[in-house]
Amino acid sequence: MSRQARLYQWGMVIDLDRCTGCGACVVACQAENNVALVDKQRFAEGRNMHWLRIERYWEGEFPHVRARFLPMLCQHCGDAPCEPVCPVYASYHNAEGLNGQVYNRCVGTRYCGNNCPYAVRVFNFLNPDWPEPLPDQLNPDVTVRSRGVMEKCTFCIQRIRRGKETAKNERRLVRDGEIQPACAQTCPPGAIVFGNLADPDSHVARLARSPRRFRLFEDLGTDPSVIYLKGGGHEHAG
Amino acid sequence: MELLGVFTNIEQAATAVEQLVRAGCPEETITSVTSVPYPPGVLIRGQRRGWFHRLTVGGALLGAAGGFALAAGTAWIYPVQTGDKPIIALFPTGIIAYEGMMLCALLGTMAGMLLEMGLPDLRRRARDPEIADGLIGIAVTLADETRRRTVEQTLLAAGALRIRTDEAP
Amino acid sequence: MSTPAEPHRDGAAANAAMLSSTGPATWRWYLLALLLGTVVTGGLTAFSYQVMTGMVVTGINRPVMWGIYIVNFVFWVGLSHSGTMVSAILRLSQANWRRPILRGAEAMTVFSIMVGGLFPLIHLGRNWVFYYIIPYPSQYGLWPNFRSPLLWDMMAITTYIIGSSLFLYLGLLPDLAVARDRAAGWRRLALAMLALGWRGTAQQWQTFGRASTVMACLIIPVAVSVHSIVAWDFAVTLVPGWHSTIFPPYFVIGAITSGVAAVITLMIIIRKAFHLEAFLTPLHFDNLAKLLLIVTALWSYFYFAEVFTTWYGHQPIEWEVFSFSAGHYPLLLMIMLLGNSVVPLTCLLWRRVRRSIPALLIISLLVNVAMFIERFLIVVPSLSHKNVPFLWGSYRPSWVELTVMAAAFCGFALLYMLFAKFFPIMAITDVREEHEALRGETVRGRTRLSTLIDEE
Repeated sequence: MSRQARLYQWGMVIDLDRCTGCGACVVACQAENNVALVDKQRFAEGRNMHWLRIERYWEGEFPHVRARFLPMLCQHCGDAPCEPVCPVYASYHNAEGLNGQVYNRCVGTRYCGNNCPYAVRVFNFLNPDWPEPLPDQLNPDVTVRSRGVMEKCTFCIQRIRRGKETAKNERRLVRDGEIQPACAQTCPPGAIVFGNLADPDSHVARLARSPRRFRLFEDLGTDPSVIYLKGGGHEHAG
Repeated sequence: MELLGVFTNIEQAATAVEQLVRAGCPEETITSVTSVPYPPGVLIRGQRRGWFHRLTVGGALLGAAGGFALAAGTAWIYPVQTGDKPIIALFPTGIIAYEGMMLCALLGTMAGMLLEMGLPDLRRRARDPEIADGLIGIAVTLADETRRRTVEQTLLAAGALRIRTDEAP
Repeated sequence: MSTPAEPHRDGAAANAAMLSSTGPATWRWYLLALLLGTVVTGGLTAFSYQVMTGMVVTGINRPVMWGIYIVNFVFWVGLSHSGTMVSAILRLSQANWRRPILRGAEAMTVFSIMVGGLFPLIHLGRNWVFYYIIPYPSQYGLWPNFRSPLLWDMMAITTYIIGSSLFLYLGLLPDLAVARDRAAGWRRLALAMLALGWRGTAQQWQTFGRASTVMACLIIPVAVSVHSIVAWDFAVTLVPGWHSTIFPPYFVIGAITSGVAAVITLMIIIRKAFHLEAFLTPLHFDNLAKLLLIVTALWSYFYFAEVFTTWYGHQPIEWEVFSFSAGHYPLLLMIMLLGNSVVPLTCLLWRRVRRSIPALLIISLLVNVAMFIERFLIVVPSLSHKNVPFLWGSYRPSWVELTVMAAAFCGFALLYMLFAKFFPIMAITDVREEHEALRGETVRGRTRLSTLIDEE
């Protein structure tokens, strides 16, 4: 199925050379996807719900220290380890290369969370609760998840759906750049580019052919749809 | 009807069986009733073969087919794509078929064993509560009353403590 | 064995001794039942609290998504291998010393697999929809995913619960008839129904013997498959430290180790509680201890093979898990190695230790404590230090999890107590069969020998 010719194969390129680690994508994601808030104590306990996080690594010894930033989100693997271990098909693969998660089907074994090498799956330990007036800003296009289910980045599937519907009404295909997940839309330096990898002329497909490209834990054979462009070092600065 | 002679001693019980056979009782109508198993031939000659293991094999085949249908069949009829894998999972189907096979083989063995033993048996039977403590019973099934006296005398002559019947008291 | 003149008097005395556990309950029995029942109620309350509040009341976090519940699951499923191994294997190898041990071990299998089977359900995020995992036709037009090891677990554990219950019942059948003939009142009626009208005719005994052999042959591969599948829950994942081909045999050996140790512990308790010193002699414990010695040697071999391979390969991600485990849990690691390897391998070499009941009690308990720790050290450190260093964590069980765990232990004990109160806890006919066989003697030269070779 994956090897068939598809109209859409959603993918993302993250240019680490451009990423400043500002965290705007994290906030945008949280707002767009009704990601639950947790307080300081719960955060320390490891119950935070971020679908997208900026991993910060330090390199070198003081005073020659550099911070490296790695935005980490669901890699939408082609051969996703989380999918086959789900006993109830709550985690499945969709025809456009997305890694779907059906909240109503999930029973909460958390097996997918264990088997995800990127550790990007989050579990609803509590029912989500937003203090007033935050409930007014919830996104009506996105389900609010109840406790006991797993969730993770969807590549803003609600935006993909809307984009495809608009295109269908206008009897055309989705144009390049028409669909933007919240993180890509927000990223100030434009480090995150989203698009259709099945279209070789799309922005994302052209960037994906960069010699700087790499994917995380490629040796595990997970075939991620998120492609990183190497950066942040001195090696190509001078 | 059934007569049950109760013996304290295994040698006496064995003698009784021999006398009964000599007196013209077919060996199929005689059986021992004990609370402890004795090797075949000590009292009653053993049967050649049982048939319950056919249910074991039958159950195993049925269970393997059922397990296969459950794992491969449902995936094929209701396909869901996961992780770039084929719809029908080869090894997992084998595992489910194996477990189904073992489950049904166990159930088949148990059912076959009970059927072969003739259990559950709700009929009134000649019984003696002290058999549970180690007395040995020799039961003779009679088609009618004609041979009853002969059998009773043979049992008592061999040293039976008492004789019980399956008739209502 | 003595050879009194009247065999049935001997038989009656043996029956009475072996059925003593089913006598009227004493105040101590009620007190213990009350105590265990209270802890079980506490566990149920804690579990209800977890269901009402959410998994936040547990110590589970990201990245350690599985905690002490899964450790318990593996541990209890491991314990359940006692009955099949001791009972079925010894039955097939016609080891006569198995006889007084059979029933206790088989009952332990059934109760521990029941307790173990509850844990995957307890640990679900949405326990109330657990039935999504059961394959049944529904209007969703969706069946469970048989590619998931959890489905294999479900199938295997169902098979094992049914299989081991049947195995227990099979062995119980003639004993139920004995108990029936000695009971009165409602007990007699209930036992008569369960005994299905068993008489003990020659034909029934013959079929029974053949069926026992077949059932023993069938239950062993089921037991091996059950713990292999539990191991595959871990081994088929991509988690460093879990993804290892040695896991299935390693887990099976671990299961037998904890199973045999638990049988020793239980036999010591049963012997003491029901005054069965005449039936459970130091000889039986000697043999069980030899068995434990062998399986702990095997366990040590598997442990060494696993750690040695990882150490030699020294792949950074895998080695990180091992060094984290040693660095973060040094005490646990030490208890595990002492309890599973060093102590049994050195102490059980000595016949005097093998025949000393207090020493065996301590060693067998230590082995199971160590096995529990072993399961913990398999589940938790691997998840704590997965591939992404940014998200390394650790885990500490919460009071809710510990209460549920305590309730599991007490619930197991309670089930066992109730079983012993209502059913023969000793394999009466099996034991008496041996007594009968020992009575058969033959004159050879100037001495009289038993026709049965030896008790050993």
